[in-house]
Amino acid sequence: MTSHDTTASPATSAPVPRPSSSDALLSVRELAVHFPTSDGVVKAVDGLSFDVHRGKTLGIVGESGSGKSVSSAAILGLHNPARTRISGEIYLNGVDLLTLSSEQMRKRRGREVAMIFQDPLSAMHPYYTVGNQIIEAYRVHNDVSKKAARERAIEMLDRVGIPQPDRRIDDYPHQFSGGMRQRAMIAMGLINDPSMLIADEPTTALDVTVQAQILDLLQDLQREFNSAVIIITHDLGVVAEMADDVLVMYAGRAVEYGPCKEILTHPEMPYTWGLLSSVPDVKGDTSARLVPIPGNPPSLLNPPPGCTFHPRCVHKDKVPGDLCWTVEPRLEPGQRGPGHTKRCHLTNPDDIYATEVLPEVAPGLVEES
Amino acid sequence: MFAYIVRRVVSGIILIIVMSLVTFLLFFASPIDPARFACGKNCSPALQEQTRKALGYDDPVFVQWGDFLKGVVQGRDYPSDPALRKTAPATIAHCPAPCLGYSKLSNDTVLNLVKNAFPVSLSLAIVAFIIWISGGIAFGVIAALKKGTIIDRGIVGISLVFFAFPTFFVGLFLYQFIAIQWQIVPIPNYVSIADGGFFTWLVGLLLPGLTLALFYMAGYVRMTRAFVLESMGEDYLRTANAKGLAPRKVLVKHSMRAALTPLVTMAGLDLASLVGGAIITETVFNYNGLGKLAVTAARNLDLPLTVGIVLLLATFVIMANIIVDVLYAFIDPRVRVG
Amino acid sequence: MVNPRKPLAAVAAAAVALTLAGCGGGSSTSNNASTKGSKGGTLYYLTFRPAEHLDPQRMYIGRDLADMGRMVYRSLVSFPVTKNADEALKPVPDLATDTGTSKNGGRQWSFTLRDGVKWQDGKAITCADLKYGMSRSFATDVITGGPNYILGFLDVPHAKSGLPLYDGPYKNDHAADFDKAVTCKGNTITYRFNKPFPDLPLAIASLRSFDPYRKDQDQGDKSNFAVFSDGPYKLQGKWDTNKGGTFVRNPNWSQSSDPVRKPLPDQIQFVQGLTNEVINDRLISDSGNDQAAVTDRVVPPAFYSRINGAVADRATQTDSPFVYYLLPNFNQMKNLKVRQALMMATDSQGWRNAEGGSKAAKPAKSIVNPSLVGYQPNPAFTAPQTGDAAAAKKLLQASGEAMPYPIKFTYNGGTPTSDKAAAALAAGWKKAGFKVTLDPLSDTYYDVIQKPSNDSDVIWGGWGADWPSIATVIPPLFDSRINLTSASNGQDYGNYRSDTVNKLIDKAAAQGTVQAQGKVYAQIDAQLGKDVAYIPLEVTQFYYLRGSKVTGYNLSPATNGYPDLGAAGVTK
Repeated sequence: MTSHDTTASPATSAPVPRPSSSDALLSVRELAVHFPTSDGVVKAVDGLSFDVHRGKTLGIVGESGSGKSVSSAAILGLHNPARTRISGEIYLNGVDLLTLSSEQMRKRRGREVAMIFQDPLSAMHPYYTVGNQIIEAYRVHNDVSKKAARERAIEMLDRVGIPQPDRRIDDYPHQFSGGMRQRAMIAMGLINDPSMLIADEPTTALDVTVQAQILDLLQDLQREFNSAVIIITHDLGVVAEMADDVLVMYAGRAVEYGPCKEILTHPEMPYTWGLLSSVPDVKGDTSARLVPIPGNPPSLLNPPPGCTFHPRCVHKDKVPGDLCWTVEPRLEPGQRGPGHTKRCHLTNPDDIYATEVLPEVAPGLVEES
Repeated sequence: MFAYIVRRVVSGIILIIVMSLVTFLLFFASPIDPARFACGKNCSPALQEQTRKALGYDDPVFVQWGDFLKGVVQGRDYPSDPALRKTAPATIAHCPAPCLGYSKLSNDTVLNLVKNAFPVSLSLAIVAFIIWISGGIAFGVIAALKKGTIIDRGIVGISLVFFAFPTFFVGLFLYQFIAIQWQIVPIPNYVSIADGGFFTWLVGLLLPGLTLALFYMAGYVRMTRAFVLESMGEDYLRTANAKGLAPRKVLVKHSMRAALTPLVTMAGLDLASLVGGAIITETVFNYNGLGKLAVTAARNLDLPLTVGIVLLLATFVIMANIIVDVLYAFIDPRVRVG
Repeated sequence: MVNPRKPLAAVAAAAVALTLAGCGGGSSTSNNASTKGSKGGTLYYLTFRPAEHLDPQRMYIGRDLADMGRMVYRSLVSFPVTKNADEALKPVPDLATDTGTSKNGGRQWSFTLRDGVKWQDGKAITCADLKYGMSRSFATDVITGGPNYILGFLDVPHAKSGLPLYDGPYKNDHAADFDKAVTCKGNTITYRFNKPFPDLPLAIASLRSFDPYRKDQDQGDKSNFAVFSDGPYKLQGKWDTNKGGTFVRNPNWSQSSDPVRKPLPDQIQFVQGLTNEVINDRLISDSGNDQAAVTDRVVPPAFYSRINGAVADRATQTDSPFVYYLLPNFNQMKNLKVRQALMMATDSQGWRNAEGGSKAAKPAKSIVNPSLVGYQPNPAFTAPQTGDAAAAKKLLQASGEAMPYPIKFTYNGGTPTSDKAAAALAAGWKKAGFKVTLDPLSDTYYDVIQKPSNDSDVIWGGWGADWPSIATVIPPLFDSRINLTSASNGQDYGNYRSDTVNKLIDKAAAQGTVQAQGKVYAQIDAQLGKDVAYIPLEVTQFYYLRGSKVTGYNLSPATNGYPDLGAAGVTK
C-alpha cells in the first residue's frame, strides 16, 4: 500500500461544498452532467464534489455506468454541449472550466489536464504512427518544429520505458504490445507536462504483471512531475496501490469519500463493502470469499426513490422505518470523523462492517486494521 | 506484396479466359440467329447460310473460341476464307495481334472500336467521379456533423430522391431543361481535349457527368455520413479531442481519415465499372462510349464486339480489385503488415 | 421499309409507328417553310439509328436508300424531286438517257448511260461499272444484307439451294453465266431476266443495288461504310459508325448532267444516336444549328400538345411506306367463320388511338400501301373501324366452335404503347366472345413467330414495299411455295397456303406491265380478304418537325416519306 498522510490532505477536512478551495489544484463542486434524451433526462452525474491536490492521487471507484468516466470527460470538456447539460463548478488552477469558451477549454486540454484511456489499442488512431500521434499532441500546444517535437516524443517514449524509442516511434499502434501501447499513451498524456492527469482504467486491458509495471510507472512519473492524478477504476486493488483519496461513486453520485486508508479499512457504506467483497485478494488469500453485489446498477433515467442503492442493499433492514425507500441520505461524516463522508442511513456502519462483513470476505484486512 | 500481385494477376487472366468462353457459349445459346438478323429481307435458308459464313459463325463454337484465342496471340484475317485470299486479297481485313476480334458490322477491329470509345467513357467517369466524390463527401460530412437537424434530413432526403429516380429520367430532365430549354450549357457533345481543349471538353461533360454523379453521390452521401458518425464514436477520436486538437483537425485528420478508408474501396470499384461505360447516361446524351458500344454490340448480335467489351470490362473490374486491395494496404497500416 | 427478317429493323420501325401520328397521304403543302431554295449552309440530319451499310449493294433501309440516292449514289433512273404525290413514284432518267427499254415481255431491259456523268475522282461512269455493281450482289458470302431479288430474276443457272452458280466478282466462279446475262455495248447495258420484270425501273429507282460500283474502289466487306460518290455530295473523311458523318459538295458532279437533284446546302451533316425525345425537344426549341435540322424521328405522342403556334408551322405529316396488320394463324384458326368473327371484332381504331391517334396512324383498307401502283381498297374489310362486336359474336356462334373461343395474340411488345394498343384489340375481341391471351415478345419476336410450330392464333406484322409495286408485297408475304419450309414459315407467319393465290401470283408475275400486274394483284388481295388471310390495322404515319431555316422541305413518297434531301436547303 502506498504511503498516505491524512493530515496533509485538506480535501478530507473540507467535504462540504464551498465555491472554491484555496490550494486544491482541481476542485469540483456540485457537478451535474445530464443528458436529455427522447425518453427523458439521463442524470449521469449529480451533486458531485471533490478536490485533488498537486502530487496527490484521487481514486474514483465504481461499477460501469456509475458516472466515473462521465465526470472525467466533463473535467476535460469532452461532452458535446448540444447534447449535454452540465452545471456546477470545476476549478482547475483557480479557473472555473465550465465558464470557459470551447476554444479556451481546448487550449487547456492536453496541456493543463490530460487523459489516458482504458484501451490503448482503440484509443490510438490505427492509421497513424505512435510518433505522429504523440508529436501531434505536443505541437498542438507548443509552437515547435516537427523535428524538435519528434525529439521530445522520443525522449518521452524513452522516459516511459519504450526500448529503442527512436525506432519504435515510427511504428503503428498495432505493432506495439498492450503494455507498450499504454506506455505510449502515458507518454502522449504527459508530453505537455500537465498538472492534472486523469487515467481512466489505465490497466484494465492489461495482464497482471504488466498492470503492476504501468502502475509503478505512473507513480514514478507523478513523483517526477509532481502532478495531480485521478485514477478511475473499478479495481480496489489499483486504488489501494495508487490513491491517496478515494471517491466511491454509485448511480452518478458520490456515496463515500475519504482518505484511501480510511475507506479501505473502515468503509461505511454497504456499496463500498460490496466492492471490497468482490475484489479477489491480491495477496492470494484463499480464505477470502468473493461476494458479488446482488442485482444490477439502477437506471439513471428513473433512479429509485430514497437511497439509490437500496434495491441492492442487504443491510437496509437495519435502518428503521422506510427511510431507505423515501429519503435520499446526504453525503456526510459518519462514525469516523469529518474527513470521511458517506451517503447512508446506517447509524453504526463500523460495527456492522467489523462484525458482519469483514470476517466474511477479507480476513487480511481485519488484521491490518 | 509482389508475389501477391502476381498471383492475383494470374488468376485474373484465367478468369478472363473462362469468361471469354462463357460469352461465346451464351451468345450461341441465344435463340436469336445472328445470321438471319444480318441477312437481308427475303432471306432464303441458303442465303442465311452464306451470311453465317460471312460473319464467321459457321464453325462449331469451340473452334470459334479457339480461333479467338489464337487471334489474341497471332492476329487474324477476316474473313479467313482461303479462296478469297487467293482471288481477292484486298477484301480481307487483317486484325493484328493482340486481336480481340473484328466487328463485321462496324468494319473495324474490336480494339480500334474500344480505343475510340474508351476516352469518352473515361472522361465521363472522371468528371462524374470528381463531382460525386467531392459532393458526396462534403454533403455526407455536413449531414454527419448536423446529425438529426433539418439540414441532415434535407441532405439525406434529397440524395435519396436522386438515388430513387432512374438515371435516364434525371438525364433527360437535365438535358431538356438545362441544355435545351434554358440553354445554360450548350447541347452536350463530347469533344476530346485534343480537339477542343480542356474547357470545351469539360463543358461537354458537365450534364452527363452530373447525371451520373447525382446517382452515385446519393450513396456516397449516406455512406460518408454513416462512416463519419461511426468514427466519431471511436475511442481514438476522444483521444484526439482530449489532446486539445482543433475541431477541424479532429474531423479531417482523425475522423475522416478513418471514414474514408471504406469509401476508397467502394469508389475504386465504382469508378472501374464506370470506366467500362455508363450505358444509360451515354445513351441519353448520345456519347459514344463503351456503354453505348456495348448496347450496340448486344443489340446487333455482334459477337466479336460483345466478347471484346465483356473481356475489357472484366479486366477493368479485376484490375480495380487488385489496385484497391494494394491501395488498401497503403491506406490501412494494419493490412500492410498483417 | 419494314424488314421483318431483321428483328431490330422491325423493332425500330415498330417504335417509329408506335410513336407516330396522322391524316392523309403526301406531304401537306400548306405549312411548308420557304419553298424558295437558297444555296449554301449546312443542313443537319438528326437521327437515332446508325446506318448498317453504306455500300449501295448492301443498303436496305428505306431512309438510307432515299438519303444516299439523293446525295451520293445515282441510279439509272430515279424518282423525281416533286411535291406532286402522283408524280413522285414515276421514275425519270438519271444516269440513263431514258427510263429504259424492255423487250421480250419485260424479260430484257436496256439502258444507255448519259454523257458526262462522273465519279467523284472525275473519271467517267462506264457500263462496266454498272455491270460490276450488279455482280457484287452475287457474292453472297461477302456482300450480305442487301436486296437479293436479282439473284432470282437474272437469267443465270442456279444450284439446288436456289442460289446462282455465279458467286460474284471476288471468287468469280461461273463468271461466264453472268457475262451472258448482263452485257455492255458501248454505253448501253442490257439485263436478261428469267421472268418478266416490268417493274425494274421502280426497283432501280427505289433500291441502290442496281447502282454502278467502281472495281478499283472495291474492298469487299471492308467497303461496307465506304462512299465513292457520283452524286452532288461526297463523304468528308470516313464515316463514323457511331456518330455519323458529313457530306460536302462533290466538285466532279455537275448540275447539267443531273436532271433529278437540286442540291442547295454546302454540307449535310448526319448526327446519329439521338433519341426521339431529344431530337424533338431540340426541334421544338429551334435554336442554333437545330434551326437547320431535319429528322426521320417522329414526334412522340407525349409531345403533341407542344406542337402549336409557330411550332406547328414546322410540323409535317405524311403516309409512311409501312402498313401494320394482323395474321390469323391458319394452323390454329382453321375455321373461316372464326377468322371472320375475329376480323369483324377487331377494333383497329382502338389500336390506333393507343398509338397516338391520327398523327401516328390512319386506317388501312389493305395490306398494300395506298401509294403503291395498282393499289385498291380491299372489298373484304367492311367492318367498322371500331369493330362490330354483335356481328362478330353472331359469326362466332355460327362457327360451331365452343365459346368463349380462346386465342393467343402474339405481338412485338414490351413498350407501354404497344401493350396498350394490344389491350385495345383484346378488349374488342373479348366483347365478341373470344378469350384473349396477350403474348408480348421483344427481341425473340421473329424467331418465335417464324417457327411453323408456333401456336399463336393471331400475329402482328408490319411491311413496307421494297419498291412501289405490289409484287414486293403480296408474293413475299403469301406465296406459300417460297415461304413455308419445315424449318420456317418465312414471312408467311400465318402459315397461309392457297393454291388459288399461288396460281394468281404466277399469273401476275407473267404480266409484262406493272399495270397489268396490278390488276391481278387486286384479284389476289380480294381472295386474301375473303379467306381473312390478314386484317389491316393501319397505315403508319410520319409526323416530323424541322428547323425554321430549312427550305424546300418535302416528305415525298419518292424518298419513302422521309425528308427529300434532293431539294432541301437552308436559309442564312
